[in-house]
Amino acid sequence: MAGVVTEHVQGADKGYDEAVREAWRFLPGEKPLVVLYRLKKYFPVKGLIRVKGWVRAVDNVTLLIPEGKTLGLVGESGSGKTTIGRLVLRLIEPTSGSVFFMGRNIFKLRGRDLRWFRRNAQMVFQDPYGSLNPRMTVYDIINEALRTHKIDVGDPKEYIIKLLYEVGLNETHLYRYPHEFSGGQRQRIAIARVLALQPKFIVLDEPTSALDVSVQAQILNMLKDLQRRYNLTYLFISHDLGVVRYMSDYIAVMYVGKIVEIGPAEEVFEKPFHPYTKMLLASIPVPDPEYVKKKPPIRVVGEPPSPVNPPPGCRFHPRCPYASEKCKREEPSLVEVEHGHWVACWHPLN
Amino acid sequence: MAEEVYEKKVLDRISDALIDGLVSIIDKVKPGWRVKNRGRIEEWKLMLYALNRSPVGLLGTSLVVLFIILAIAGPFIAPVSYDTQIIFCDRDARLAPPRTTVQIPDNPFCRKLGLKPGNFTMLLGGDDYGRDLWSRVLYGARTSLVVAIIVMAVGPWIGVLLGLVAGYYGGKIDELLMRITDVFLVFPGLILAIAFSAVLPYRIQDVLSVHPLLADVMRVLFAIKPENEPQLASLLSVIVALWLVWWPFYARLVRGMVLSAKENTYVEAAKALGVPSWKIMFKHILPNIAGPIIVFYTMDFGGVILTEAGLSFLGLGAVPPLADWGRIIYDGSRYFPDAWWLVFFPGLFIFLTVLGFNLLGDALRDVLDPRMRRSIEFKIKKRVVVEEVSSGS
Repeated sequence: MAGVVTEHVQGADKGYDEAVREAWRFLPGEKPLVVLYRLKKYFPVKGLIRVKGWVRAVDNVTLLIPEGKTLGLVGESGSGKTTIGRLVLRLIEPTSGSVFFMGRNIFKLRGRDLRWFRRNAQMVFQDPYGSLNPRMTVYDIINEALRTHKIDVGDPKEYIIKLLYEVGLNETHLYRYPHEFSGGQRQRIAIARVLALQPKFIVLDEPTSALDVSVQAQILNMLKDLQRRYNLTYLFISHDLGVVRYMSDYIAVMYVGKIVEIGPAEEVFEKPFHPYTKMLLASIPVPDPEYVKKKPPIRVVGEPPSPVNPPPGCRFHPRCPYASEKCKREEPSLVEVEHGHWVACWHPLN
Repeated sequence: MAEEVYEKKVLDRISDALIDGLVSIIDKVKPGWRVKNRGRIEEWKLMLYALNRSPVGLLGTSLVVLFIILAIAGPFIAPVSYDTQIIFCDRDARLAPPRTTVQIPDNPFCRKLGLKPGNFTMLLGGDDYGRDLWSRVLYGARTSLVVAIIVMAVGPWIGVLLGLVAGYYGGKIDELLMRITDVFLVFPGLILAIAFSAVLPYRIQDVLSVHPLLADVMRVLFAIKPENEPQLASLLSVIVALWLVWWPFYARLVRGMVLSAKENTYVEAAKALGVPSWKIMFKHILPNIAGPIIVFYTMDFGGVILTEAGLSFLGLGAVPPLADWGRIIYDGSRYFPDAWWLVFFPGLFIFLTVLGFNLLGDALRDVLDPRMRRSIEFKIKKRVVVEEVSSGS
């Protein structure tokens, strides 16, 4: 088995075999590009003198991101999805656990290896108004990416114009400043900056949540198109379930730092097993007045608990209509309920 | 409508010409610069338009420009040198009131002093050595400007650098640097500067004797006669002393701004791209916090001039016979209030110069605010549209 796991990766770091074996259970048959293994990130809550407690933003997450596919990560605000996005790009260091990118433990990389990783793993941020330096022109913004990685593209200007066309802009935008663009155009610039490096893996952290609905669709279609052409791997983080469904091949649902359900996108949407997933789906607004009369089976109740002091047992039990005594005491772990569809719940639906 | 509609005034056209001239020079050195920085040039013009619309800014700019012209041209337009004792040719020159005319006899001695035979009007009067106050004030302007420029070219940047590093890295580095800054901040800057400038002259004398070229350059900058070169050391010691006390405030200011600026997503985006830390600090953070720094920096020119005058008033820095505003006031204070002009005129020059820098800094606060520029851009464009419409109908 070990030989099969690391077959496509040469010079894998220590612990990769183990990590892949554990993560592969969830998405069998896919080729792993990024593997998260027992990843934890606790943020200290500072009191006046000493640390009062820890925010368990990400708590023991094991996950596999398949090459050339899109993994959607959904959850309410504060569920730790953005923290995972920042961890897999090593923008923050984990409390414990590891992330492997093409077999290399990214938290151990240094110097040239780290630059290799930075070039291959990139991020598109949620806020297109903040993610571009207001004092740099589009040319400078994209050229900085090229210069940082000393990418030889011949004439940088020609290359950048080509990139701009790729994302639906043109050469007249070359020497303009970010404030001269709309939100959608800025997100296109941010995507062009990322594409300039020709990465393999892109974290999309709610890339369309700040945009108009009509612009959202354009950006999403463009991202899908780019993925097909360049065989990109996406980690798509969003709380907008409609968008996630459109974009993702697989979906992982997070609740207060833990993954509660994972499976192929259509299955999770059509047949959710976790009451929380069902609740999230019920919260999607449907533009149909008749629908309201039919009443969704589960209404959204309560708020997510504080990650500083998560409830014992299943973290969802205070909000769950099906909670039993067992849920209050014991924490469920992910179990395969159907082929390739895992859920962490004592009383799965259906 | 008249009160809120702007159009290009004469000053705006002069500003346009200034910027266009500057741009064409840069464009000659770096071909293609004009096209690449089209947006930046537009911003520069709007900044000047904003300045042109601020009476405070215009007053400040005029005072500062006047001071700089006086300081540069002063030693050339001064009637006599800073140490010419007219008293040797006419005893009336001693403590002469403003606009006193003295008679210069035609003899070789007076010629050697640089005095032409005949009437000589002492515009602002004379001091107890019979030196022309107007000439000394002009030389004093040069001293003030050179001290201010050299101090401001180094001191604040030490603070900016330390503030950037402390704010960006945080943690233990931040703690260490800020405690050092605190040590300097709790000690009154002037007292510290007095201590430094009392101790430093001997060391600086050594340095100057090892590097005669440095001494010569400084002598020319301060417009000092070769025989006064020994007095240079105490002047330079004030500069070094001010370097040492002028950074802590900037370290604090910049650190605070970096702490908020580094939370911007574009800083995180740069990190994700793998941009090295020093580049993030200087290319992404510093330009975006530059506004308040520039405002403070401008006002601080006045601060340095004031502090330097204060130090020389206390007998540190400029040594007789060198001309320095603070020193002139100190020497003249013995004869106050009878010879009031010895205190009044240098004081007036200090006042107007410091006021000028403060007003300019105050106006820059508005000029550097991008929202201000947008509103002016909007108003100018609106006017143009209105004109086009009216000419068409």
